[in-house]
Amino acid sequence: MDGRGSVDRVFAALGDAGRRSLIETVATRGSATATELAAELPVTRQAVAKQLCSLADAGLLQATRAGRETRYEVTPAPLEEAVEWMVSVGSAWDERLTALRRSLSGYGKSRSSSQPPPGSRS
Amino acid sequence: MEVEREMVVPETPDEVWEALTEPERLEEWFASEAELDARPGGEGVFRWGDGDERRAVVREVEEAERLVLDWDDGGSVAIELEPVVEGTRVHVVESSPEFAPALELRALSLEAAAPAWTAAAA
Repeated sequence: MDGRGSVDRVFAALGDAGRRSLIETVATRGSATATELAAELPVTRQAVAKQLCSLADAGLLQATRAGRETRYEVTPAPLEEAVEWMVSVGSAWDERLTALRRSLSGYGKSRSSSQPPPGSRS
Repeated sequence: MEVEREMVVPETPDEVWEALTEPERLEEWFASEAELDARPGGEGVFRWGDGDERRAVVREVEEAERLVLDWDDGGSVAIELEPVVEGTRVHVVESSPEFAPALELRALSLEAAAPAWTAAAA
């Protein structure tokens, strides 16, 4: 899992006040196009489009083609990545602990049936 | 981010400790192939059937009580054993520190971008 790399991209994308305010605006509106945002913000449509592109590259915005325009919305990608990690690591531990329990009980039985007490390792 | 699991097994902490620290025992429940030098600074290499391999360095060892490994991807896992009436309580915490900044950034990108953000990023 490329956790570090994606964090760096997030840092880079958000290391600019203009881009941060763009994300906020998109988040507030739900979704937005460069044209809509340029009408609201004191910047040109071109500048907005460029920034939206870099935010999409960083995985913070999701782009969907809507006619001639590209519509952007905030993506929960970093969050999803983290949730995915929790689910996969959590289920890995569920399986491991079940296997550990089985291993312990099998080991204990074979050891006590072959009778030497704890302390004498095989 | 953390994943936490707990279970109680009928074996003693010493018996569980062997299963946590002896490579051939680890291969019964943790990984298909295991190498572990269970001393502070010791190295661990774990391989799974699907070709996955993880490397770790032992951060803490308290015999029959606590084992902490730092994964080379930045995460860590702490396994603690506690004697209880029924046997041993096995407590596992796996942490993934690299997701923490991503989540913070995510939260901050949706709130107003505060100056504290810039300080944290620096």
